[in-house]
Amino acid sequence: MTNTVLLNNVDHHDLRLRTQRSAAWGDGVMLAHAVPAEFRELQAHYPIVFQKSADGTTFHPVALLGFQDGQNLFLDADGWDAGYLPLAIEREPFLIGRDGGELLVHVDLDSPRLSRSDGEPLFLPHGGTTDTLERINSVLLALHEGLQATPAFVAALLAHDLLESFVLDVEQPDGSQQRLAGFYTIAEERLAALDGAALAQLHRAGHLQAVFMAVASLSNLAALIERQNRRLAGGA
Amino acid sequence: MGDAMGDGMGDAVRRVVIIGGGSAGWLVAAVLAVDHAAATAEGLQITLLEAPGIPPIGVGEGTWPSMRDTLRKIGLAEADLVRDCDAAFKQGSRFDGWVSGAAGDHYSHPFALPQGYTEADLVGTWLARHADQPFAEVVSFQPRLCAHGLAPKQVTTPEYAAVANYGYHFDAGKFGLLLRRHCTEQLGVRHVCDEMIGVQSHANGDIASLQTRAHGALAADLFIDCTGLPSLLLGQHYGVPLVSQRQVLFNDRALALQVPYPQPDSPIASQTLATAQGNGWIWDIGLPTRRGVGHVYSSAHCSDDAAEQALRRHIRASGGPDDLPAARQLRFEPGYRAEFWHRNCVAIGLSSGFIEPLEASALALIELSVHALSAQMPATRAAMDIVARQFNEAFSYRWERVIDFLKLHYALSQRRDTDYWRDHTAAASMPERLRELLTLWRHRPPSHYDLACIEEVFPSASYQYILYGMGFRPEAGSRRREDPALAERCFQEAAALAARMRPALPGNRALITHIQRHGLPKI
Repeated sequence: MTNTVLLNNVDHHDLRLRTQRSAAWGDGVMLAHAVPAEFRELQAHYPIVFQKSADGTTFHPVALLGFQDGQNLFLDADGWDAGYLPLAIEREPFLIGRDGGELLVHVDLDSPRLSRSDGEPLFLPHGGTTDTLERINSVLLALHEGLQATPAFVAALLAHDLLESFVLDVEQPDGSQQRLAGFYTIAEERLAALDGAALAQLHRAGHLQAVFMAVASLSNLAALIERQNRRLAGGA
Repeated sequence: MGDAMGDGMGDAVRRVVIIGGGSAGWLVAAVLAVDHAAATAEGLQITLLEAPGIPPIGVGEGTWPSMRDTLRKIGLAEADLVRDCDAAFKQGSRFDGWVSGAAGDHYSHPFALPQGYTEADLVGTWLARHADQPFAEVVSFQPRLCAHGLAPKQVTTPEYAAVANYGYHFDAGKFGLLLRRHCTEQLGVRHVCDEMIGVQSHANGDIASLQTRAHGALAADLFIDCTGLPSLLLGQHYGVPLVSQRQVLFNDRALALQVPYPQPDSPIASQTLATAQGNGWIWDIGLPTRRGVGHVYSSAHCSDDAAEQALRRHIRASGGPDDLPAARQLRFEPGYRAEFWHRNCVAIGLSSGFIEPLEASALALIELSVHALSAQMPATRAAMDIVARQFNEAFSYRWERVIDFLKLHYALSQRRDTDYWRDHTAAASMPERLRELLTLWRHRPPSHYDLACIEEVFPSASYQYILYGMGFRPEAGSRRREDPALAERCFQEAAALAARMRPALPGNRALITHIQRHGLPKI
């Protein structure tokens, strides 16, 4: 399914990136991995929740884009209907790989987002990088740094017992129930009960703002349900 | 030692001394300490007196699912139980050779209730349409998980939460040590390691204090006897007699051995295996580091040598080595005390009674006793006699139900190959109430109407699993009719659950290894 190689301006000199947002290019996903550094931007549009890792040992934050596998309620015929694109979406189909101590851009050549005929070029005619690739570089770097910082953030949440399991039952327009389960949110009661020393500790470590951004983001759940209702009503 | 108050009546109950440092003593200490704030100045003062160097008794290594609630309540991490007590997950029991003794004779008693237990006529529909298949395998998904040695949960399932209902198998000696550490380091229980050399009484006959060799007299308002089979306070000091149940349940001896696995990564069984013998039965319990295997038998029917030979035959046949050391023997009088709470002394654990370890009733009764004691903890000496009367009534009832339920495993057997089985199936050995229930069950399944207590030791579903597993078939002709389609949907649900869970659950050993390395998520 994937064919990841080191990006270079010889083999890939004519590679182009399709920057439109579409399920056809792989954007039909219900969630995007998120990093605390972008919570401020994310919370303006998306609910931020937490998912348990497959081995049960830790959690990672995600932005919710839909309520079931493959459903992205921010995608429509005109593209992505929100003012901020999660880093983990925007970076596709590029990723950072390590070669010795050096961070290098890799690319998944099997991605439908790539083309040799249409889209934005990645390299200039003489091998320099285009603004498009510069942008990708900065997105990858921000994501990489964010992922480095996430374990400490999650460890702090767990240390203060600030995550709790959450289940959302969504009533569909036809009266049937849809259940979103398996996600975790900030435990607001326990957050409100933290004493000054615990708050100061979270603040000094740089986690406090992200905690409250995650809390604020949950007001987007109602908007996400509304998006789904509109879609079901419109038959789209 | 006299008492200035004369009879001591009206005194507040502020101090508790527990004597005995096995799993019973420390479990009592932990629950009382948590419920009654032992770690604070206003809380109950709890002291546990433990004689140095008393080896713990190595039976009763199985628990019911209730243990999960008990451990969560006292604030113990489940991963610590797995790491420190050689614990594995138990999803129920399998009984081999109890019905006819023929090859392939077996049935299951899973912990999960039948799917849709209170909603549909499962028994009637099973009898009418599926009686050729084992009851437990039609109504429950769990026997299929156990048959494949699966764990009852995933690595992502939070601690104490279950995908399939479960209890534990563990090393009871190590369990006591873990509880001791938790009690003394976290819960404010005072630990005195010393020998009791005497009991001092008030004029009214209450115990005033326990005299120790090096720590003087330990005075208290309430004394809890967790001294095991010797029953030092209730049995020896007060002379409360044991009500023998030998006429119903004959087993009075056990031989126990620890059996190594052939490989360090050999599978760990997901259920207790209970294999009927000519004069008793053999338990086989899978822990992470070894199996615990033992033969419990009737000395009136079988010599110790014959019992040991049967045990070694079972171990050889199940892949164990030949060169095991001599088996450790335990002798006991099957029965329970005429009362459990006498004056200001309560017995909990083996000191209150002991019966063969079928169905892991020992730890279940300890849990029920300590929760009842904690909830009803008398505030004053004046209240204590009333609480004691309630407690004695409740636990005499529970012991009777344990005896009935264990006897049910024998009473319906078709085996007549030895005097042991002929005696067990003879009407004379049947308790009156069990005889009555069996009369009722000829026409309808066991239900909560048969079990009137709020906290029964065994749920009515367990009676159904044993009754129909043992081959009991009611008489036709009940006029009560319920929709079989509803029951069929429950059976389909059980099969669908089993099919969904099988690929999603790790093996019992794989989950335990993961927990030993990574712990369990708290949420």
